[in-house]
This record gives sequence, C-alpha cells and structure tokens, in this order.
Amino acid sequence: MNTIEEKLWNYIDGTCTAEERESIATLIATDEVYSKKYKELLLLNAEFTNIELDEPSMAFAYNVMETIRTENAMKPLKATVNKNIIRGIGMFFAFTIVALLVFTLSQVNWSAGGNSAPVINFTMPQLPGLISSTTVYAFLFVDLILGLFLLDNYLRKKLTNATPQQ
Amino acid sequence: MQSKLTDIELIEQSLAGNQGAYAILIKRHQRFVFTLALRFAKNREDAEEIAQDCFVKAYRALAGFSGQSKFSTWLYTIVYTTAMTFLRKKRVDTTSIDDENTYIQLENQSSGLENNLAEQKSRSYYVNRAIAQLLPDDAMIITMFYKGEQSLEEIAEAMSMEANTVKVKLFRARQRLKEKLEHTLKHEAKELI
Repeated sequence: MNTIEEKLWNYIDGTCTAEERESIATLIATDEVYSKKYKELLLLNAEFTNIELDEPSMAFAYNVMETIRTENAMKPLKATVNKNIIRGIGMFFAFTIVALLVFTLSQVNWSAGGNSAPVINFTMPQLPGLISSTTVYAFLFVDLILGLFLLDNYLRKKLTNATPQQ
Repeated sequence: MQSKLTDIELIEQSLAGNQGAYAILIKRHQRFVFTLALRFAKNREDAEEIAQDCFVKAYRALAGFSGQSKFSTWLYTIVYTTAMTFLRKKRVDTTSIDDENTYIQLENQSSGLENNLAEQKSRSYYVNRAIAQLLPDDAMIITMFYKGEQSLEEIAEAMSMEANTVKVKLFRARQRLKEKLEHTLKHEAKELI
C-alpha cells in the first residue's frame, strides 16, 4: 500500500506506470488533500534541485594531475629494470666463462706425465693482442668478487628471513 | 573549444596520453565528486583527500572503462567505494553509521559552513545543512538524484544496490529531509522572533 506521499513522489519522479500516472493526475485535480500535498512536494522538489554543490580548493585539479604525473614519471624507471636485459647480461657472462674454460682446457697437454698422477700442465692462453695472462687473471678475479658478492647477498637474505619479525 | 568535448572523447584523448584532457574531466566533475565526498567525510580536508584519491584511481582504471554506462556513474562508483573505505579506515564503526545522531553531532562540530552568515539566510543553506545531517548513503542518494543527473538504476549501479532499494531509500531520505527542514526552519523562526 503506497501512501499519498509515496504515490505523489513517484508521480513527480515519473517512476509510475502510465495508468498510475493518469489516476494520480485525476486525484490531484479532484482531491483537495492530494492537491495540497502535491504543491508542497513540488516546492520541496524544487528546493532539492537547487541545492548547491561545494567547491574544492583552487589547487584541486593541479594536485590530482601532479599525483598522476609523479606516478607516470616513475613508470619508465620500472620499465628499465627489464628481466630480459638482466638475463641477457647473465647469459653473456656465462657464455664468456664457458668459452674461456673450453679454450683453456684445450690448451692443456693431457698426455704429459705418462702413467703417474696426472700433472696438469696449465698454460695460460696466449691470445694474440688483447688477451694476456693479466687480463685473464683480472677477469677471474672480478668473477670471484661477483661470486662472493652474490653469496653475501644470499646469506644476508637468509639471515633476514630467519630473524623473527618484531 | 576543448571543454565542449564529451566525456568519452576526453577519455579517449587521456588514454592516448593527453593529460590535459584528463584535467578537463577533473574540472568538469570535481565539484560533484567533492560534494559527494563531503557527504561522508564531514570536513573539507578529508573530503578533498577522498576526492583526489577518486580521480587518481579513476585515471589508473581509465583503460578498463567500457563505456557501457555514463562516465559519471562509473566515477561515482569509485567515489562510493573510496568513501566507504575511508569511513572504515577512520574507524567509524557500523553502529555509528546507522546512528543518525552521530552525524548530527558531527555536523554541529563542523565549522566551515556555519561561518558564512550571509549564506545562513538562504534557504539553500538550510537544505544543505539538513542533507549533511542525513546518513551518508541517504545524503549520497539525494545528491546523486538531484544534482548528478543519475537515474535510480544508475544510482543503484554506483552503490551496488537494487534499484528498488534506492527508490525506498530516496523516499525515506526525502521524508527525513522534510522533517529536518521543518524543524530547523521552525527553530530559526523562533530565534528571529
């Protein structure tokens, strides 16, 4: 059961059916109670329609755009840390190490020393020009440092995980 | 000229990387979004924070806007969820959300609106004050219906409710608003005499 007000609001909002609309219009025209209430609600409706919206601060739009710009500016930085690039560098180093090992082992005179305990006659590669024994030592030293650095990182992470959170 | 573009055109431009287009969208909707936020936050600083958050969230999710509904309806959905999250963060418990007196108290504490003496004379001021005393949901429905050009179905979509629920809530909100207005104006008239 709709109250008079409910019916009239539906009529004002236009949410009633065509038949309801027709019957309410007749009631407004003939019934004093409906007519009075209708005028009252119409006035109220006009007041609600005229409510004013609040204005945010002058810098509102600027602040939003600044936040968006800051977020966007940070995206390219993220993009540069591409996993494929890291993988590529890793593969390059791995390939270089393997190539160097193969080359070095190919230089070893495996037949020397007869049946006795094999003494590996390790001769440093004599690459013409750029690769000298010093370069190779330096390269291996850098590899060693990198290896130690990775080991240190791994152990630190392990230690952090093992420490209970406060 | 650019301000005459539709919301959809501005969204397309924004997605193409034109941030100026999004700035126009913000300016177009900022008053309404801010007013809705104010229905929940009850103070200008928090409301501005909510409103800004809404526009940033909307920008991030802009690519996901399908265009099936109006941009404003989609934006008001974000406003509603952000405002509700804000209320939860502020630890306004659910009992106080249901308790209208809490909002009457909050309204009495708010100072921004009361300071304008000239505005106090206008009837619009009393309507706004009465709306601020409603429950946030009711205040949002009233504002969206009368100022947001949203149908009951669109309001229902924005607030994740049934259209019929919105209709009932709108009716009750108008009744409460009427009572509050009558009460306030009677009180003011007595004070003037």
